[in-house]
Amino acid sequence: MEGRPEDDRGLFARAQRGDTAAYEEIVQRYQQIAFRTAYAITHSAADAEDAAQEGFIKAYRALGSFRMGAEPRPWLLQIVANEARNRVRSAGRRQHLELRLAEGFRPGGAAPSPEAATVAAEDSARLLGHLNGLSEEDRLVITSRYLLELSSEETAATLGIPEGTVKSRLSRALARLRDRVEEIPRA
Amino acid sequence: MPELTELEARLTSLGGEVEWPPTPDLSKRVAAAIAAEQVIPLPLTALRPSPWHQSRWAVAAAAVILALAALLAYQPSRDTIANWLNLHTRIQQVPVLATPSPLPPGPLGERLGLGGYSTLPKASAAVKWKVLVPSTLGVPDEVYLQSDGPPQGEVTLVYSARAGIPISAQTGVGVLVSEARGALNTDFFGKSVGPDTTMEPVTVGGHQGYWFAGAPHVFVFIDADGNPRYETSRLATNTLLLDDGGTIVRIEGDLTKAQALQIAASLA
Repeated sequence: MEGRPEDDRGLFARAQRGDTAAYEEIVQRYQQIAFRTAYAITHSAADAEDAAQEGFIKAYRALGSFRMGAEPRPWLLQIVANEARNRVRSAGRRQHLELRLAEGFRPGGAAPSPEAATVAAEDSARLLGHLNGLSEEDRLVITSRYLLELSSEETAATLGIPEGTVKSRLSRALARLRDRVEEIPRA
Repeated sequence: MPELTELEARLTSLGGEVEWPPTPDLSKRVAAAIAAEQVIPLPLTALRPSPWHQSRWAVAAAAVILALAALLAYQPSRDTIANWLNLHTRIQQVPVLATPSPLPPGPLGERLGLGGYSTLPKASAAVKWKVLVPSTLGVPDEVYLQSDGPPQGEVTLVYSARAGIPISAQTGVGVLVSEARGALNTDFFGKSVGPDTTMEPVTVGGHQGYWFAGAPHVFVFIDADGNPRYETSRLATNTLLLDDGGTIVRIEGDLTKAQALQIAASLA
């Protein structure tokens, strides 16, 4: 159908035949999720950019090993996440990541929200604070699965763990987060 | 658990409220890098950037490059392939050559990136595990030690052609036996093995293993640090992968399954 974007598999098939324009389109489609995934791992925008870029280049070189008909997103994210993890590993440590709400969601921001929105923003800020307070492992699995909305398969690929482990890790992480959320603050 | 469902929903909407750093436009840069390198897509080992992948299984890349080259009607020489590998998988296209050139001189491992030239006693002393040697093949012709690869290193035994085992067109040797500490995880295999590769579970001396034959595929094992390592296997040279008490042994060559099993059974 005219005007309808080509599906990912079609693009991958073209890229596998050496069509670099098709691959450029793939990068455009996936760069945001790849970059954010890498950012969640590296905690650094610069490292995430490097990891995503290098990941896309490596993925292109490895296109021949991509199985036609398979889902391209987990495959790409796996390569980018590997790049990101390697950067963390070679740096020895990573800086602490504090995810923040975007400006529009902050109470008392430049454009003051109606009261309800302010309450919602406060709730979000509180939840984010609890999330930031979790261990790196818990935070990453929750961020991948919910904030980045990766599928279970993509989360497994990103974390480099089997899908079954994602489910159990996620369930434990959510339980710990829920404990924090439900904890009544001392007056 | 209704709380959980609500929590999950809140977390999902939180994704849209978080201040992510602006996504850089990578598409042009990636396209430029690909164009500058004249990279050709190929089944490659290069899913990890560590020096290890660039050298450790780089020999595997030779096979897939050849396979791809055949598809593209390229006929690169082994020299060219070695050069590619030395360029750390920055693959460049080359003019069509009429026939493969003879193997260049020099130690095999240096060209194929198996690590540093070593000897069996030296390599055995350098790693913490017991290096296994297949008695059916005897003393290896060459031994290489990769110390900057997987955690705890990797040892590769090189065997030249012998009765019943031809020289592999891909590697120029008969059999490669590579060993590193780690574990096999079949959860990863399903995702990495294509429809043209057969994967068959085998048991050798009570140890779990897999026999891979057919098309190249990404191969995965869990290294000693618990991280997955992604590599490709060869096209024409089949592979027997074995977990021998925590040592992952790869036996590769133009072998039949029976030959590979016999070699594996003689590991000691």
